[in-house]
Amino acid sequence: MSTPAIVRLIAGREIAERLRGRLVRWMTAAAAALVVAGVTIPGLIKGGAETTRVGLLGSSAQALAPTLLRTADATTAKVLISDVRSQADARRDLLDGRLDVALSLAGASAHVEVKQTLSAATRAELQTSLDAAHLRGALARAGVPLAKVLPALTAVSLHATALKPAPSDEAARAVAAIAAALLMYVSLALYGGAVASGVAQEKTSRTAEVLLAAVRPSQLLTGKVAGIGLVGLGQLAIVAAAGLIANGLVHSARIPASVWVLLPSFLLFFLAGFLLYAFAFAAAGALIARQEELQFVMTPLALPLVIGYVLVFAAIASPNATWLKVLSLLPPLSPALMPARIALGHIAWWELPADALIMLASIYAMIRLASRVYANALIHGGERLGWRAALRLDETATAV
Amino acid sequence: MRGSQAGQEIAPPSADSGPALEVSGLTHRFGEVLALDRLSFEVGAGELVGLVGRNGAGKTTTMRAIMGIVRPDHGDVRWHGHAVGEADRIRFGYMPEERGLYAQMGLAEQVAYFARLHGLQADAARRAARSWLTRLGLGTRMDEKLVALSHGNQQRVQLAVALVHEPELLVLDEPFSGLDPEAVDSLSDVLREQAGAGTAILFSSHQLELVERICRRVVILDAGRMLAAGTLRQLRERFPAQLRVKVAAQADWTSGLVGVRVVGSDEDGTLLELDPSADSQAVLSAAQSAGPVEHFAFESGGLIDLYRQMVS
Repeated sequence: MSTPAIVRLIAGREIAERLRGRLVRWMTAAAAALVVAGVTIPGLIKGGAETTRVGLLGSSAQALAPTLLRTADATTAKVLISDVRSQADARRDLLDGRLDVALSLAGASAHVEVKQTLSAATRAELQTSLDAAHLRGALARAGVPLAKVLPALTAVSLHATALKPAPSDEAARAVAAIAAALLMYVSLALYGGAVASGVAQEKTSRTAEVLLAAVRPSQLLTGKVAGIGLVGLGQLAIVAAAGLIANGLVHSARIPASVWVLLPSFLLFFLAGFLLYAFAFAAAGALIARQEELQFVMTPLALPLVIGYVLVFAAIASPNATWLKVLSLLPPLSPALMPARIALGHIAWWELPADALIMLASIYAMIRLASRVYANALIHGGERLGWRAALRLDETATAV
Repeated sequence: MRGSQAGQEIAPPSADSGPALEVSGLTHRFGEVLALDRLSFEVGAGELVGLVGRNGAGKTTTMRAIMGIVRPDHGDVRWHGHAVGEADRIRFGYMPEERGLYAQMGLAEQVAYFARLHGLQADAARRAARSWLTRLGLGTRMDEKLVALSHGNQQRVQLAVALVHEPELLVLDEPFSGLDPEAVDSLSDVLREQAGAGTAILFSSHQLELVERICRRVVILDAGRMLAAGTLRQLRERFPAQLRVKVAAQADWTSGLVGVRVVGSDEDGTLLELDPSADSQAVLSAAQSAGPVEHFAFESGGLIDLYRQMVS
């Protein structure tokens, strides 16, 4: 039988085994639900948050409405104005959250009630409107023709220029970066761990020896990594699709436009990271003598995954730091750091091809090294092996 | 026949067309330990050969080397005259000493999976798996997980995995260990039947009476070297015949007999070893002249006795 046919058979068994497990289905559903919630909930909450609802109490206050609306136009604030019948109504509406501000006038003094605090912006807006209304009244009483004066009052328009404008979706980018890094960390730990425990099971149950009577260690290893990797990619694709569909339905538009770059690059980095970590985890799984030792050999390998995730917070704080650019080129840290940096948008054109080259070279080296350890250690009896001891062993007939 | 310096091959190849499996000069070290030392033997098509020896004699390493799981430092394994390759090994069936299968996989699915790894198409693999499981008495439990089975039944599944692709060579490491007498008989029947159909079979066992009953030939290992190989009769001929004589008299009647050595003496009589040149009739005459002869018989020379004589 040809090697591709054997690898397909082995990968097929791995996929069937994982899809049979209820855990995998639940995990996929839970992850998809989490992403959908993450996409839709901020969109729903932020829907009406920037509009200030102003209730006007009494006829003199209600006469202010046109002025208030003009001021709001000029300051680009959103104001929703309604009339309130009584102070009791106003207070009830304020406490129930149907109103943000209730305004009443008594002669030259105005009174404002709010539930908790009056924001500086709203206070300024109200003050400006009151001043304008008061000025009109005073001018009218002094016999000044308003039609001549008013255009002069609004003749000066303000233009603002930002020297260093912040991207409008900075917060959303940071959230996307953290989400990408977290998802990468969880996925690689999960599927890498699945490879390690699968190998460990075959070794400790001695199934490996029956398998090796029919296939080469390299075929067994390749089939296992391919099978579990495909299940992982499939799950991530389902989660990503759920997120995109939810976003389309809610029109939340909180996802930055860079998502169309982020999504495929995330999947590519997952693929590369998975190959790097899965082969390392497979070799680790082959070293142990008892299933309980698995955690012990896996922990040092999983450490860079955690570090990569934690460094994303540093990347958000100082996206242009040189040390971060250097660290994100290190193969064990790349899978979490690079997609996050892509999401943040501070990445130079040469960084991705450079990282791809480094990544490919290190995956190649890892496959060579791990396959050798795996082949040597897989049917080795006795105590748990060290990495160096496993490399030196040369028991197996057909290593790699 | 390849002569080995360490072991003394006696038997000529049994099959007319030459041996199916040839192991020659197999040498392997694990660190300081010499696990195999210039080991050579053969197994013919349709022949059942028993591999015998104490723990650590090299039986498992020999079998792993044949299956390509261990690469020996020196020596080679040949199949029908050529160096054994992957295309040959896929038609070998193997049952390792430490049994191992997927605990959470269904029986039929599992056996069919191993059949496919050995080159069977999906349909043929499913059919063969079901037919072997039925044959081994697990027909009603096809869809159960392996872990739900008793130890003995798991052993049967392991056997089904070794047999499912109709191998041309069966290599079974301690296939009888842990089996009840009934299962031993049914496994013996299966092995005889497979050999009858032309399969070359090599199996190891500590149960020497079992090996004696089933095998035509045995290979005896000790500390990685071959002590002897051949049919039981050939092995017997290598050792001086042992004669037990009981005479109802206390007198020493053995002195003066040529080619005869006294091994020991007790209430069952005197145990003598006779050189090929010695004349048993002369021994009888000498005994009769000493007194009434109550017992005069050759010892059976079973495999256990031979084995003890060899390793002592």
